[in-house]
Amino acid sequence: MSKRIFQHPLESQTGKRYWRSLGQLKDTPEFRGWLQREFPQGASELDGGEVTRRNFLQLMGASVALAGLSLSACRRPLKSLVPFTKGVEWSVPGKALFFSSAMPSRGGALPLVVTTFDGRPTKIEGNPLHPVSKGATNVWAQSSVLDLYDPQRSQNYLFRGEKSNSAAFYQALEALVSGSKEGSSLAFLSDGVPSPTRERLRKDLLLKFPQAKWAVYDPNGSVSEVEAVSIAFGSGYRVVPRLDLADVVLTVDRDFLGVEGDLSAVRDFASRRTVEKSGDAKARMNRLYVVENRYTLTGGMSDHRLRLAAAKAAAFLKMLALEVSSLTGDASLGKMAAELKAPEAKIAPAWAKECAVDLFSRKGKSLVLVGQRQPVAVQVLGFAINAALGSVGKTLEVHKSESKASLGIMALAEHLRKGKTETLIILGGNPVFDAPGDARWLEAQASVQTVIHLSAEVNETSSKATWHVPAAHYLEQWGDSRAADGSYLVVQPMILPLYGGLSEIELLAKVLGTPGEALALVQKTFLEVSNLTGDATAAWATTLRNGFLENSASRQISVNFRSEESQNAVSSAPAILFSENQFELVFVADSKVDDGRFANNGWLQELPDPVTKLTWGNAALISPSTAQRQGVVTGDVLKLTLGGKSVEIPALELPGHADDSISVSVGYGRAEVGSVGQGVGIDVYPLIGTEGLRFSVGVTLAKTGKSIALAITQEHGALEGRGIDLTRQATAQEWAENSEENNPGYFKKMGIDAHAPTNFSLYSHPPLDDVHAWGMAVDLNTCIGCSACMVACQAENNIPIVGKEQVINGREMHWMRMDRYFASEGGDANEPEMVSQPMMCQQCENAPCETVCPVNATVHSEDGINVMAYNRCIGTRYCANNCPFKVRRFNFFDYNQRSITSLYRWNLISPKGMPESLQMQKNPNVTVRMRGVMEKCTFCVQRVQEAKIAAKVSARDKASESPPQVPADAFTSACAQVCPTGAITFGDLRNSKSKIAKLKESQRGYRLLEYLNTENRVWYLARIRNPNPKMPDASRAGSASRAHASAGKHNGGH
Amino acid sequence: MANIFPRWTNWLPIKIVFCLLVLGGGVSSGVWYYFTPKYTRVGYQPTQPVPFSHKIHAGQLGMDCRYCHSFVETSAYSNIPTTQVCMNCHSQVQKDSPKLELVRESWKTGKPIEWVQIHKTPDYVYFNHSVHVNRGVSCVSCHGKVNEMEVVFHAESHSMSWCLDCHRNPADYVRPLSEVTNLDWVPPAGKTQREIGQEIVKKWHLNPPDKNCAGCHR
Repeated sequence: MSKRIFQHPLESQTGKRYWRSLGQLKDTPEFRGWLQREFPQGASELDGGEVTRRNFLQLMGASVALAGLSLSACRRPLKSLVPFTKGVEWSVPGKALFFSSAMPSRGGALPLVVTTFDGRPTKIEGNPLHPVSKGATNVWAQSSVLDLYDPQRSQNYLFRGEKSNSAAFYQALEALVSGSKEGSSLAFLSDGVPSPTRERLRKDLLLKFPQAKWAVYDPNGSVSEVEAVSIAFGSGYRVVPRLDLADVVLTVDRDFLGVEGDLSAVRDFASRRTVEKSGDAKARMNRLYVVENRYTLTGGMSDHRLRLAAAKAAAFLKMLALEVSSLTGDASLGKMAAELKAPEAKIAPAWAKECAVDLFSRKGKSLVLVGQRQPVAVQVLGFAINAALGSVGKTLEVHKSESKASLGIMALAEHLRKGKTETLIILGGNPVFDAPGDARWLEAQASVQTVIHLSAEVNETSSKATWHVPAAHYLEQWGDSRAADGSYLVVQPMILPLYGGLSEIELLAKVLGTPGEALALVQKTFLEVSNLTGDATAAWATTLRNGFLENSASRQISVNFRSEESQNAVSSAPAILFSENQFELVFVADSKVDDGRFANNGWLQELPDPVTKLTWGNAALISPSTAQRQGVVTGDVLKLTLGGKSVEIPALELPGHADDSISVSVGYGRAEVGSVGQGVGIDVYPLIGTEGLRFSVGVTLAKTGKSIALAITQEHGALEGRGIDLTRQATAQEWAENSEENNPGYFKKMGIDAHAPTNFSLYSHPPLDDVHAWGMAVDLNTCIGCSACMVACQAENNIPIVGKEQVINGREMHWMRMDRYFASEGGDANEPEMVSQPMMCQQCENAPCETVCPVNATVHSEDGINVMAYNRCIGTRYCANNCPFKVRRFNFFDYNQRSITSLYRWNLISPKGMPESLQMQKNPNVTVRMRGVMEKCTFCVQRVQEAKIAAKVSARDKASESPPQVPADAFTSACAQVCPTGAITFGDLRNSKSKIAKLKESQRGYRLLEYLNTENRVWYLARIRNPNPKMPDASRAGSASRAHASAGKHNGGH
Repeated sequence: MANIFPRWTNWLPIKIVFCLLVLGGGVSSGVWYYFTPKYTRVGYQPTQPVPFSHKIHAGQLGMDCRYCHSFVETSAYSNIPTTQVCMNCHSQVQKDSPKLELVRESWKTGKPIEWVQIHKTPDYVYFNHSVHVNRGVSCVSCHGKVNEMEVVFHAESHSMSWCLDCHRNPADYVRPLSEVTNLDWVPPAGKTQREIGQEIVKKWHLNPPDKNCAGCHR
């Protein structure tokens, strides 16, 4: 037997390389620090704070003296148990109740099931009955529960900034409305979230006040798409892509898996990526072509990706349309394409040609999606290509739209400036912050005598408004909405308004003068929508129980593509100009704070962006080659000037970004916001010209010489081992050649596992002989990297936030992280592929962390979970140092007791404590950890225990052959439950009926760092890419094995 | 050279060590005895706002524990009864008793009665009543003979080792489900607790978490 070497082998410098950051690619000392240490040099020390060693000792002295004082008053504290006076229906102390509701959001509300404990909503899950959710949600739904309890939410009526009350407001409102002269002095501005009751009240309002103006503004809305659809198909329609039916998908500047899509798109796409056997890859897997300027989640899932400035997307689409028209013989498409005035772009003609051939070969089963950012003419051309490919009515459905035509914010601003409006009612939103520059909103708003602003937070608009009205959170109000599929959802309150907030429809009812509880208003709409006559009590009860009205989803209607109108629109559209040596600036909706509305949500601020891994702020994303040309590195502050306005923002080099293009996300740099969002990021709204315009050419870029530290987590938790050890992938072709029959252990023998000798162990542990054996599988083929699991984990497990400074120190507390790898031949930073890998505790059966704990605080349970007993932990951090996966987190500070701005005041005498409202959010079944304690993923052990207890309780005194067993897949972990693509599966390995038992046998299954013999309980399923072999970049597309094979043949041990 | 230290100092180190040992031993045994739940908790008997007698209700009248603690079989918590539960009977029985003044007031005003907590598990312990009472652990095992208590007091230590005594050897404590709320139950003649317990453990496959920390600590 040869000597076993535990040194990690050096990564080969040839062939395909995997890297997370440019630092790793260049192997900088900083990266080595992250890799080899638990925390970078100095991060484990107490520097940077206000406490020096000397005043630490002083404070300690004082604390000890105080402790002595308090000991003398040592008595058992009297605690009371306070039962209800009257029993509350359904309520059982200590048991959760689940209610259906919905989270109103852009493009369609999310159907939810809300977990409440003793009347407090604590956790949000998707509604498993609804086809849009099927139990899944997204980062915003998960984190919205924190918004509810935000102690800095608006709590008072404000009149010109002074505290007022509801009575005074109602009085003022009545006077304003009664003097409104048929409404000619009234104007409304609402956000674009669909709400049938609001629409009904709006109709009533416009009947009562025919002169009133109603505008809709959503800074990340889709006005240009609405316009493009109305040109291509006629007004009053919306298009619904059917990604589950599409075999070949091309997206042009459209991140439908990320911020520009919805859950159903994600789910439908993933349904075509779910493969079991190698045969499925050919039979079911779709192929995704992506043209985009920056790496997005969609680009990460692509099989072929073309990085192209957003302004040049038109040029690509033009090429594609010409190819498609020559294939289909559709002359009108060719004519339309020829008339599109697109800029020059260097695009490999073969890319567009082969893409067109592939789309054409699946005529009727292919789909082209064009981004809402693109000019209307480009989007119309996209619809024309779809029409030529026969996808309209098949993969691109046309539905009737529920939303009515309204004014845009530009028109409203112009109307307001005329000075005829006396009262402006703003229902939610924050136009002072996010209105486009050309609207000159401040000026417009100032020309109105009375501005009433309904808002859940006191923001920039509130302080400029006459009246600020606190809004109710969606978990506090009755309401309704429509899901992405058009079905009718009821928003049900979980709790009375904490701060007496008012809902949108209640305010509108007040304006209308119709008395009405919100519930009655919604029920009236329900009757109209459901077309029920007579007693609807039962139907209402069923709808409330299910969360939605059965069979209310919109259906596709047969509409023809309007070729002539489209032709006119394209030919009359202004030219898109983009010449050499120019930069374009692309505005994107943020993956976390959206348009700025979630800026005070700590969970979202601390969530790393799925692609850039940036937390607490935004940055100007540029390509590494542009950065090199401009002499800029990540963190350098750039001055971007556009149309006379300029913004200073740090640069961030993003591999795979298009050259000469800069991407910035909106929604940061809020001026008036709670303490969490204070001073986070840079506001780029001033650079936006008009509504719907989401990229501008001609931005100038200048270095300021300043540099700031960005809280980027991409190098945190770096693992030893090569990329192909961690994220394995193959093409569909390679999988077919190495199928289950031909080459059974194909994915298990990749990378280091092909070299490592057979494992043997000197260490033994007690048998893991419970009736259950918990395990997890993560399918990298469907994981898009959206990071919803991270927030779900945070909400479920009471994980605190640590703030920007501590994230820079590498102290973020997320129990699971989303590792994002880039991979490219020879380490090319400009054209890499992307793979996301969720990383949680691997629950090793031979856990290295357990053997080094001096106090047995981390031990194994018989069912295979590596458990933490927090009350035993003394904080040596040996376990974290010995963890090969770097998934353990240490409470360096009392994150739960102190705000992120006063973490360093951790002595005994300074005040501490968690705001009461935040205490209400905590999951009562999980310990809130204190300073000095190690913590990590527990496979949601609280859910495991609840399930086991339930099994035992129902077994009672039944005689049985074996101990009571939890039924297969009866429950799941928080991350698996939230996953919209079903990439994470949790369950009982010992139960042959469970999903996990089958998945772990999958040929694609492998475990991380197998050669360490840790016997992980988490299996990863290798990523399969489905490239088109005829494409010019086909050789680039994902093959881990190829690089490995080129380095020499290895079989088994050495 | 004269001796710097007088002769008696030769014994000093030994004396000091001896004193320290005695002192250390004393402190240790003091902590051992006085700082453990057996001393700090057992016997704790606070005065409740309403002089409710478990002896009368559960003992004399023979009411089942679950009449008031109604969710003990379904929930982690054994609930304290609502005022409504008291009034179920006391709207007819002992209507005017001065002892029930607070109950009537609570019923009238809707303001709950604030009972004083006696048994308290630490925040990091997740005790579940339902799984115990549904698997043969009687109320009496942890709470003592409440049916004989005029005023309830802390009868057992509720320390971790006390929990583990039963988790490791359930046969010494469990009983048939029908007898769980019968606090006066004794094994029928001719059988010992251990025999009955062993039979139950085997038949029901009792497997309380005896090594799994996560059974109680999450």
